[in-house]
Amino acid sequence: MYQYDTIDKEMLADRSAEFRGQVARRLSGELTEDQFKRLRLMNGLYLQLHAYMLRVAIPYGSLNPTQLRKLAWIGRTYDKGYGHFTTRTNLQFHWIKLKDAPDILDHLASVDMHAIQTSGNCIRNTTTDPYAGATAEEVDDPRVWAEAIRQWSTFHPEFSFLPRKFKIAITAAPKDRTAARVHDIGLVLKRARDGALGFEVIVGGGMGRTPHIGPTIREFLPVNRLLSYLEAILRVYNRHGRRDNIYKARIKILVAALGKEEFAKQVEAEWAKIGDSVDLPDTELARIRGAFAPLGFETLPDRSEAFETAKASNPAFARFVRNNVKPHKKSGYGIVEISLKAIGETPGDATSDQMDVVADLAERYGQNDIRVTHEQNLVLPHVKLDDLPEVWAGLAAAGLATPNINLVSDIIACPGLDYCALANARAIPIAQHIAEKFRDQDRAEQVGELKIKISGCINACGHHHVGHIGILGVDKKGEEFYQLTLGGSGAEDAAVGSMLGPALPYDKVADAVDTLVDVYLRERQDGERFPDTFRRTGVAPFKEAVYADAH
Amino acid sequence: MPTLIELHEGIAKTVPDAFTHVADDEDMATGDVILSLARFQSDGDRLLSEGRRIGVRLKSDEEVEALAYDLPRLTLVALEFPKHLDGRSYTNARLLRERFKFAGQIRAVGDVLREQAPWMVRVGFDAYEPADDASANEWQAALNRYRHVYQRAADGRVPAFAEREG
Amino acid sequence: MKALTANRLTDGEVVFWKDGRWVERFADAQLWAVDDPAAVEAEALGKGQGTTVVDVYLIDLVESEGLWAPLSYRERIRALGPTNHPHHGKQAEGGAVVEALQHASGAARSTGRVNLIKRK
Repeated sequence: MYQYDTIDKEMLADRSAEFRGQVARRLSGELTEDQFKRLRLMNGLYLQLHAYMLRVAIPYGSLNPTQLRKLAWIGRTYDKGYGHFTTRTNLQFHWIKLKDAPDILDHLASVDMHAIQTSGNCIRNTTTDPYAGATAEEVDDPRVWAEAIRQWSTFHPEFSFLPRKFKIAITAAPKDRTAARVHDIGLVLKRARDGALGFEVIVGGGMGRTPHIGPTIREFLPVNRLLSYLEAILRVYNRHGRRDNIYKARIKILVAALGKEEFAKQVEAEWAKIGDSVDLPDTELARIRGAFAPLGFETLPDRSEAFETAKASNPAFARFVRNNVKPHKKSGYGIVEISLKAIGETPGDATSDQMDVVADLAERYGQNDIRVTHEQNLVLPHVKLDDLPEVWAGLAAAGLATPNINLVSDIIACPGLDYCALANARAIPIAQHIAEKFRDQDRAEQVGELKIKISGCINACGHHHVGHIGILGVDKKGEEFYQLTLGGSGAEDAAVGSMLGPALPYDKVADAVDTLVDVYLRERQDGERFPDTFRRTGVAPFKEAVYADAH
Repeated sequence: MPTLIELHEGIAKTVPDAFTHVADDEDMATGDVILSLARFQSDGDRLLSEGRRIGVRLKSDEEVEALAYDLPRLTLVALEFPKHLDGRSYTNARLLRERFKFAGQIRAVGDVLREQAPWMVRVGFDAYEPADDASANEWQAALNRYRHVYQRAADGRVPAFAEREG
Repeated sequence: MKALTANRLTDGEVVFWKDGRWVERFADAQLWAVDDPAAVEAEALGKGQGTTVVDVYLIDLVESEGLWAPLSYRERIRALGPTNHPHHGKQAEGGAVVEALQHASGAARSTGRVNLIKRK
């Protein structure tokens, strides 16, 4: 993992000191709320329904045990003993006091963490594949480039007051676990026939009020020219993105208005003028790359007796392995997904005690490496199969062994109206009700991969547009209603879901999802996933069943 | 009259402003003046021939390319921040310094707050008309906030990656 | 009826106006008849307390179980706490007013809040 050096640490210390001064000026009355709001929002501090919320950055979703323990400690000391992992792979504390925020930032800085650029119209946390460095599918380690972008984008002198927020995702595997095509910029690392590495550059994807699947504006960008190319894209956007209407200010609107050819032409012209002065020198790239060098993997046989024995004798363990353990590039190792979607719990929430358990397991069995996924789960990327039974037992004891990764109860949900000042409707209880319907794990496995994503408002923090089943909370005359969409995907087959029909009231949503699943099971042909069946049959059978029930 | 803070050799100082902002609907002032792009295009030649020093004030939606051929004749370029969140003038400033090698003053005008100082100085602004009554000392503190920077920009500061090479 | 609400500056806590000061429990809030000019006067006073509270606005109330509850779902959640954690927030202490809020049903947004949104 990347280790912060003196320079990185001093950046955080300086930021923390600046924010302490700003809070003091607010509390003393020197700053009005309007003046202070824009300052706290540059530091991830929002005022929500019940308290302040602090959004802590987890750059490219990567944590070490010391950092996770610190988050647990902050949750215990300053919040109500938990934290909420987000679709940007960050962590939010929902019960923060303004007067504590400067101390919290100091505690975060003590473990190389911060809240920089977790809000505001700037370049936000870059996300990447949670299996980076562990999966055989990748052509290179995307974290190298994510760290390069982290540094380049931090307090960027020109791009900190963009028309709107800006999100970048990088994947290096054909199976996209980052939702790259619905980002402002999606970068797909590829290897050319001659072995050279380059990025496919996708610009202008996004969700929100007007979802777009981003077009590719460059098929192959040599990797060492990444930063100058990003600079060219951001410059065209900063100059020409709309600033008159907040809902038309994202880069997707500019790309759609210009057309991808014209947009690409403007970027290429700007890039030619910029030259390579902002690109990182090879020495710096080598330094960053060195930080992600593979750790000491042991040479192990493919087959682990301890693992096989446990699987054969313990059906619960076998089920966990079936759903939550993914193939590792090294024989004898596995990638372990830790579901934060226990049935009946809040999606993405982890208690401080649970964070401590994960930190301990990562330290003992997982090469000190923990990842956060954009689907609001955690990953131990490097676990020996020999150790899996112990890891599973440790997780199970902490309520962290829910065997439902990618299944129907592995639901993305934003905090919604239970916490968020922007929300129109609740998202969490909807997720809980749906998950309860699929408490029977045999049934959930029979349904197979099914991605349900729920947002409490049109801002789409819960990625509802790209859910196989998407659920959007709307406010109809003060009451909570939910708009369902089908057939979306945030993966390599990215698609925006199609509307099912009229919005449903709060207490009808879980039943409607149950009905949709029944229709899918009835209609599906060999091996089809839910979106495959939907794309084949169209909306008709689903619509008929749900609205027949509703009458 | 707004306070003018200038940056010389890294030191922020309050200075008397030799220039007068002249709006499009105002009578021409005497002495050195700052004009809109449109007014500069109509009156600039005449005023320059009188030996006055001229500055042009660009709105955030006007691009510095419009001034490309006039820059050698200008003493300063003032870039507007209609709202502090409108970040287009950062690009204009940086292009003035890096692409057009403009060596005159680049002045930040409009909704100019000391919190923007660390970014402004990096893209090439060396004069500020603060909207928040901040003093030169407060600007100096804001300018010196960060000991390091991660990127190359128009201020010539050594970025982290070059610092690391020693 | 109406009540006046805000969030406290130092910790974000939801608070309600009562006779010139801010209290944490909706049960303790001062209530006004819809057309009572005192409500608007209190709102103006509250908005002047920028170092004590932020986002000051009047909320509409509706009758529930013989008591008064905020009309909008959002305001009831603010007055109670999140529905996914019944032990978090003000609802934890229980009581008749909390129960009345929990049983109150539906209906429109508060006009005060709508005005606040428009103002931004």
